[in-house]
Amino acid sequence: MNVAFLGLSQRNRYVVLGIALSAITVGCGPEKPSIFVWHAYRGDEEKALEQATRRWEEKTGNHVDLLAIPHGAYAAKLEAAIPHGHGPDLFIDAHERLGSFVRDGLVAKVDDKEIQAFAAEGAARRSLTVAGKGYGFPLASKGLALIVNRQFVPNKPASFEALFHGTYPAGIKPLAYEIQSSYGQAPFVHAFGSHFIAADGTFGFVGEPAEKSLDLVAGWQKRGVVVPDADGALVSQLFAAERVAAVISGPWFLADFSAKFPIDVYPLPPLYVPADVPAAGAPASTSDGPLPRPFLTVEAAFLTPDGAARPEVHDLANFLATDPESLRLRATVGKQVVALAAGVDLPATTVAFGKVADQAELTPTSPAMRATWVPVEQALKKVLRGDATSHDAVLEAGRRFADATKPPLQGEPPPKKTPLFVVFGMLLLGAVFAAIKQAKQTDIRAELRRSKTAYAYVTHAAIIVALLVVAPLVAGAATSLYAGTRSDPTYVGFTNYIAILTARGGALLGHGSFYLTLLVTVLWTIINVFFHVSIGLLLGVVLSRESLRLKPLYRTLLILPWAIPSYVTALSWKGMFHKQYGAVNGILHFFGVAPVSWFSKFSTAFTANITTNVWLGFPFMMVVTMGALTSIPKDVLEAADVDGATPWQRFRYVTLPLLRPALLPSVALGAVWTFNMFNVVFLVSEGEPDGTTDILVSDAYRWAFTRDAQYGYAAAYAVVIFGILFLGSRALQWLGERFSGTSEASK
Amino acid sequence: MSPPKERVPLWVSIGSHTVLAAATLFAVYPVLWVISLAFSAGGDAPEPRVVPFPAHPTLENFKQFVGLDHAGGFALFLGQLGNSLIVSLATALVAVVIATPASYALARLPFFGKEGALRTLFATQMFPAVASAVPLYVLLEHLHLLDARSGLVLVYATTAIPFAIFQLKGAIETIPVDLEEAAMVDGATRFQAFVKVVLPAARPAIAVTALFAFMSAWNEFILAATLLSRKSAFTLPIVLQSYVGEHLANWGVFAAGALLVSAPVMILFYIVQRQLISGLTAGGVKG
Amino acid sequence: MAHPPAKDRCVARGVTKAYGNNPILRGIDLQIPEGSFAVLVGPSGCGKSTLLRAVAGLETVDGGTITLGDRDVTALPPRDRDVAMVFQSYALYPHLTVRDNLAFGLELRKTPKDIIAARVAEASTMLGLDPLLERLPKQLSGGQRQRVAMGRAVVRRAQLYLFDEPLSNLDAALRAEVRVEIRKLHERIGATTLYVTHDQVEAMTLADTLWVLHGGKVAQSGPPLDVYERPNSLFVAGFLGSPKINLLPGTLAFQGNRWSANERASEPGNYQFRVDEDRFAAGLQEGRSVTIGVRPQDVAVAHGDDPVFGQLTVDLVEALGSEGLAHGDLGGTPFVARLDAEEARTVKPKSRVPLTVKAHRVHLFDPSTEKAL
Ligand SMILES: Nc1ncnc2c1ncn2[C@@H]1O[C@H](COP(=O)(O)OP(=O)(O)OP(=O)(O)O)[C@@H](O)[C@H]1O
Ligand SMILES: [Mg+2]
Repeated sequence: MNVAFLGLSQRNRYVVLGIALSAITVGCGPEKPSIFVWHAYRGDEEKALEQATRRWEEKTGNHVDLLAIPHGAYAAKLEAAIPHGHGPDLFIDAHERLGSFVRDGLVAKVDDKEIQAFAAEGAARRSLTVAGKGYGFPLASKGLALIVNRQFVPNKPASFEALFHGTYPAGIKPLAYEIQSSYGQAPFVHAFGSHFIAADGTFGFVGEPAEKSLDLVAGWQKRGVVVPDADGALVSQLFAAERVAAVISGPWFLADFSAKFPIDVYPLPPLYVPADVPAAGAPASTSDGPLPRPFLTVEAAFLTPDGAARPEVHDLANFLATDPESLRLRATVGKQVVALAAGVDLPATTVAFGKVADQAELTPTSPAMRATWVPVEQALKKVLRGDATSHDAVLEAGRRFADATKPPLQGEPPPKKTPLFVVFGMLLLGAVFAAIKQAKQTDIRAELRRSKTAYAYVTHAAIIVALLVVAPLVAGAATSLYAGTRSDPTYVGFTNYIAILTARGGALLGHGSFYLTLLVTVLWTIINVFFHVSIGLLLGVVLSRESLRLKPLYRTLLILPWAIPSYVTALSWKGMFHKQYGAVNGILHFFGVAPVSWFSKFSTAFTANITTNVWLGFPFMMVVTMGALTSIPKDVLEAADVDGATPWQRFRYVTLPLLRPALLPSVALGAVWTFNMFNVVFLVSEGEPDGTTDILVSDAYRWAFTRDAQYGYAAAYAVVIFGILFLGSRALQWLGERFSGTSEASK
Repeated sequence: MSPPKERVPLWVSIGSHTVLAAATLFAVYPVLWVISLAFSAGGDAPEPRVVPFPAHPTLENFKQFVGLDHAGGFALFLGQLGNSLIVSLATALVAVVIATPASYALARLPFFGKEGALRTLFATQMFPAVASAVPLYVLLEHLHLLDARSGLVLVYATTAIPFAIFQLKGAIETIPVDLEEAAMVDGATRFQAFVKVVLPAARPAIAVTALFAFMSAWNEFILAATLLSRKSAFTLPIVLQSYVGEHLANWGVFAAGALLVSAPVMILFYIVQRQLISGLTAGGVKG
Repeated sequence: MAHPPAKDRCVARGVTKAYGNNPILRGIDLQIPEGSFAVLVGPSGCGKSTLLRAVAGLETVDGGTITLGDRDVTALPPRDRDVAMVFQSYALYPHLTVRDNLAFGLELRKTPKDIIAARVAEASTMLGLDPLLERLPKQLSGGQRQRVAMGRAVVRRAQLYLFDEPLSNLDAALRAEVRVEIRKLHERIGATTLYVTHDQVEAMTLADTLWVLHGGKVAQSGPPLDVYERPNSLFVAGFLGSPKINLLPGTLAFQGNRWSANERASEPGNYQFRVDEDRFAAGLQEGRSVTIGVRPQDVAVAHGDDPVFGQLTVDLVEALGSEGLAHGDLGGTPFVARLDAEEARTVKPKSRVPLTVKAHRVHLFDPSTEKAL
C-alpha cells in the first residue's frame, strides 16, 4: 500500500526535511571580519566606489566588504543594526541625516585634526559639523542645476525668463523638472529668502517669501512653460526624447543618461534679468531677479562607533575622500561631483555641477528637517492644483509642521522605570483573571486532562507564535507609553493615546483628523473587501466548472497580479493613472471622455487606489475560493440542479453557504490586512490630494518615519488600530451570531 | 479516469468565457506595461498610449538584472536566486509543518484555552507591523540569527504561520470526521489517523497554504534587507529593489527583474493548481 | 435459535452517556453471544449510533463497563479494542484505491504482506470487488462503495463487527441483495455482529437477537419473532410492525368461563377480543382497563364460524397488489385491517366488515404503565 503524503513515502519525507533544514543553516555563520562598508549606491556610482576601494585594498592589504543596500531599506537598516553592534564600520549617506545619526549615536566623531587635513573650508566642512563637532569624510556633493539640450539652447540662458522665451520647435516645452516635489521647489523658496528650517530651528516656510515661491511656479505652470505632473522618470524620458529643452536635475541625472545629443550644465540662472521681455502686465526689471538656490547635499563616509575604533577604517575613509585616485575614479566612472577637485582632470559637466555649491543652500541637518518635506509639498501641490491661494497654503503648511513636531501633550512626566512592569503586570493580571473565570466554570483538572491529546499538537505552534509574534507585539505596544525618539524616550503614560483620540486638539472631524482618516479607512476596507470577495468568488466558481476550456491558462494569467511583486505593479498602476501619458486616460479618451486628473480630487484618487488594490487582491480570494470549492461534494450541487435550481440559486443557496466556513477566516483576515494595507496608498496616490486618501496605518508610518521619528506615537497609533479592529471584529461577530439564527434555519 | 463531462448550455459557456476574458484583460493589462517597460531600451518618448509595446525592443534589461553584463554577475545572481528559493521554500515548509498539527487540533480536538488561542492568533493579525519590527530585530539578535537565512525564515514564518493555521483549520473542518474515526477503528492511533487520512485529504489546502507562505516570503524585501548584510546572502527582491535609487530609478531593469522574480511563482502556481480540482474528498462518505 | 448458546463476546453493563446535560444512554445492558448477530433498533435519535460508537471506543462513556471477549475495554482507545466498523457514511478514504482501503487496517497492524494480499483477495472476491480494486472511491457507485466499506471490515479478523445503518442509502432492490449478502457473510465467517438499522425487514431477517432501544434504555430484547409476537410494552408493540399496531381501549371481563377484553360489548359498533389466558394469566382482573393491541396483519375478514371480534366501518381501501389495507373505524377508534388481494377488490368503503383474530395475537397492555399485562 502506498500511503501518500504529498507524494512522498515516510522515509523520503524525513530526508527532504533534513535537506531543507540543513540548507537553511549552511553558510549562515559569521564571516571573518574585514572592514564593512555600507552604501546605497547603484550603477556607475557603485562601480566607482568598488574600484576606489580595490585600490585601497591593494595599497594596504586590508579586506573591505562592500554592501549595496536598497535605498528604501537603508535608513531602517542603519537604525536597527548600528545600535546593536551589527552595523558596518563605515557607511555612506547624505549629510542631512547626520542630525538624527548623531542624536541616535550612529556615528562617531572625527578628530578635528583629521578634518582639517582635507576639508579646511566650505560647504562640506559646515555640512558635517553638528554642535561644533565634526563627523564624516565628505565624498561628493549633490545639488540641482539646469541641464540643457544644446540643440535648443545653444548658449547659457541668462535667466529662466530667457529660457522660457527661447524659440523651440513645435511640441517642445522649455522646461521640465519635478515640479510637485518640495526638493524641486527648494531653489525657488530660497530664491525669495525663505527657508525650510529657519536659522533658529523653527519652520521657515512662512510668510510672503514662501508664498511668492509658490506663486512663481504656479504661474509657470499656467503659462505652460513647464511640464506639469512630471516625476523623475518622466523628466529624464522627456529630455532623452528631445521633448523638452531643459531640465532641472542633479548629478545623478547624468549617470543614467547616454547622450545622443550635446548637453550643457549650468548653475540655475536668476529668475529674470533686465534684458528679458517682461511678462504681460509686469514692469520691466531694472536689476537681476532672485537667484534660485537649490539644496546642497554632501555625501560623506561616516564612521560608526565600532569602525571609529579601528585606525584602518579612518584610513579608508580618508583615502576615499581625499586620494586623487579615488577622486578621479568617482568623478569619471561614478560621475560624482567630488568635494575636492584639486589636481584632478574632471569632465566639464561635473565641473559645472561643482559650481552649484557656490549658490546652493546646505540642507539643514536638524532632525526637524524631516518633518518639513510633506507640509511644503502639500502646500505646493495644492497651489498647483488651484485648490488654495498661496497664502492659505503656506499657513496650512505651518500648521501641519507644528502638528507633526509638537510633543504629544505637555504634562508632568511620571517617574521612569515602572512602565514595563505595569504593562506586563496588567497583561498577567488579565490572563490570570481569564483563567480563573474559565476555571470556575468548568472542572479545570478534568478539562486539562481531556486537553492532553490536543496539547501535543498545538504546543510547538503556541510557543513559536507566543515568542515570535505575540512577544514582539507586546514589547512594541509597550513603546506606545513613551514619547520622543528611540534614543531618547521619555515615559508619558497614556498621553499618546489621549492625543490621538482627541485628534491632537483639533476638530474631531477636521481635515486630516484621526476620525476622518478612520472613516476613510473603513470605507477603504469595505469597498476593497467587497470587490475582492465578489470578484474572487465569481472567478473561482466560474473557473471550477469541469468542462471549461483553457482553464489552466485562465487560472495562471489571473494570478499574475498576485505573483508579481506589488511594489512594481502598484507603480505601473500609478503610471497608468498619469493625467497626460497614462493609459487609463488614453482609454477614456477612446470613449470620448475628457482626461481626468486622477490625483487631484479625493473621489478619483480614492478610486485609483481602490482599483489598484482590488487588482492586487482579487487573485488571492479567487485561489482561496478554488481551494474551498474542492471540499464541496459535487453531488450536493447536482442535487440542487435536480431540485430545479437556477445557476444563481444554486450558487446562492448551496455553494455559498457551503463555502462560507472555509472562506470566512480568509475574508476576515483579508479585511484586517486591507485595513492595514498602506503600501498601495503610499505608492499610488501617496495620500493625494492633501493627505485625504491616507488610511490610519499610513499615518502611523508617517509618524514613525517621515515625521520626527516619533516611534512611541506610531506605536500608540498601532495599538489604537489594533483596538479598533479588535472591537470591530467582536461587534461583527456579535451581529453575525444574532443573525445567523435565520441563516442556519434556511439550510 | 476522466471526470464525466457535464453538458452546459451554450449561454453558460459564452458567459463564462466572457467573464474570464474580461477578468484576464483586467489582470494582464497593467502587467503588459511592466513587460513593455522591461523590454524597452529607455529613451522612448512618453506618449499617451493605450497598447503597451516597446518602441525598440531589447533584452538589455534582463541581461543586466541577471548579471550577464559583468563578470561574476551571473553567478552572484544564481546564488541570490538560490537564497530566495531556499528561504521561501523553507518558510513554506516551516509554516505548513508547524501550522498543520496545530490547525488539526484547533479544528478537531477540544482543549482548554482553544477559544483564547484562536482569538489571540486573530488579534495578532490586527497589529500593524510598524510597532513590532524593532523588538523582533532584538529577538533575532539574541537568538544569534541576524544575517542568517534561518533568521529570515523565522521572521517570515511569523506572518505565514497564523495565516496558515486559519487556512488549514478551515480546510480540515470540511473533512468528514468519519474518515478519522474509521481509521482509528481500523487500528490507527490518532496521530496515524491524522497523518494517513487527514493530511492526504487536506492536500489541496496544504498546497495552497504552502503557496501563500512561499509568496509572502518570495516578494518581501524590507525585512530581508534589514536582516541580511552580505551580498551573497541577499534574496532577489533586495536586488530588485536596489534598482530604485534615492533620486532616480532604473525602471527598465526594475521591471525586467520583477518579471524574472515572478516567474518561479507562476511556475509553482501552475503546478499547484492541479490540486485545485473540485471533489478531491468526493466519494469518501455518503454525502 | 441459529446458534447454540455460547460465551458472550460483547457485554455492555450499565452504560451511561450524556451530551452536556442531555442524557442519551441511561444504563444500557447488552450481551452478544459469540458468533451471533445482534440487531439494534429504535427511533431516530435514541442513541443507537452513540452506543455503537461507545462500543467502538469512539465515544467515552460516563458510566458502566464494556467488555469484549475477556477484556474490559471501557477505557481503551478504538485501535486496542479489535473491533471493525462499517460507518453510516461508509467513510472510505478518498485518496486510497479500493485495494488500499481494504488493506489499510491490516497495514496499520503490521500484518505481513502476503497475508494482507490473501485477505484482500478473499474479501474482494467474496464481495465482488475484484474488477474495482484499482479505483478510487469517487469512481464507485453507491452499492459498490457500500461493499467496499463492508470489505474493509471483513478483511479484519475482528472480535466484533459493528454496522451503523449500512444499507440506508441503497435502493430497495440493492438493499435486499446486500442484506442477503451480509447474512451470508456472517454465516461464512461467523462474525459476532452488532448491527443498527431502521429497516424492519432487515431487523427481522438478519437478527439472532433483536435489541430495541428506547429512552436510553433497552426496552426489550430477544429473538426477533419473540419480540414481534410478544412485545413487552406499548412502545415496542408500536415500534415494530408496519402498518402500525392498532390500539384500542378496553375492559377485562370474565364471561362464560372465558376472559375477554371489550368495549361497550352490548352496543352496536362494539368489539370483544378473546384473551390468551396463559400469556396474561397474572394480570387478569375483572373490570381492569387495558389497552388492546392488534396488528393489522393478524386480523382477517371473518368467514363461516370464525369468532368475530367486531365490525369495521370501512372508510378507505388501499390495494397493494398482493394484499390490501382497510382503513376504518372500530367502536369509535381508527382501525386498520389487512385484507387479501381478493377482499381488497370486493370490500367497498362505507361497508361494514366482520373481523376475526386469533386469541394469541391479541396483546394487552396496562394503559398507565404502558407495559404488557
Ligand atoms: N456530539 C453530540 N453532541 C450533542 N448531542 C449529540 C451529539 N451526537 C449525538 N447527539 C444527540 O444524541 C442523540 C443520539 O444520537 P445518535 O446519533 O446516537 O442517534 P441514533 O439513534 O443513531 O439516530 P439515527 O437513527 O437517526 O441515526 C441524538 O438526540 C443526538 O441529537
Ligand atoms: Mg445513527
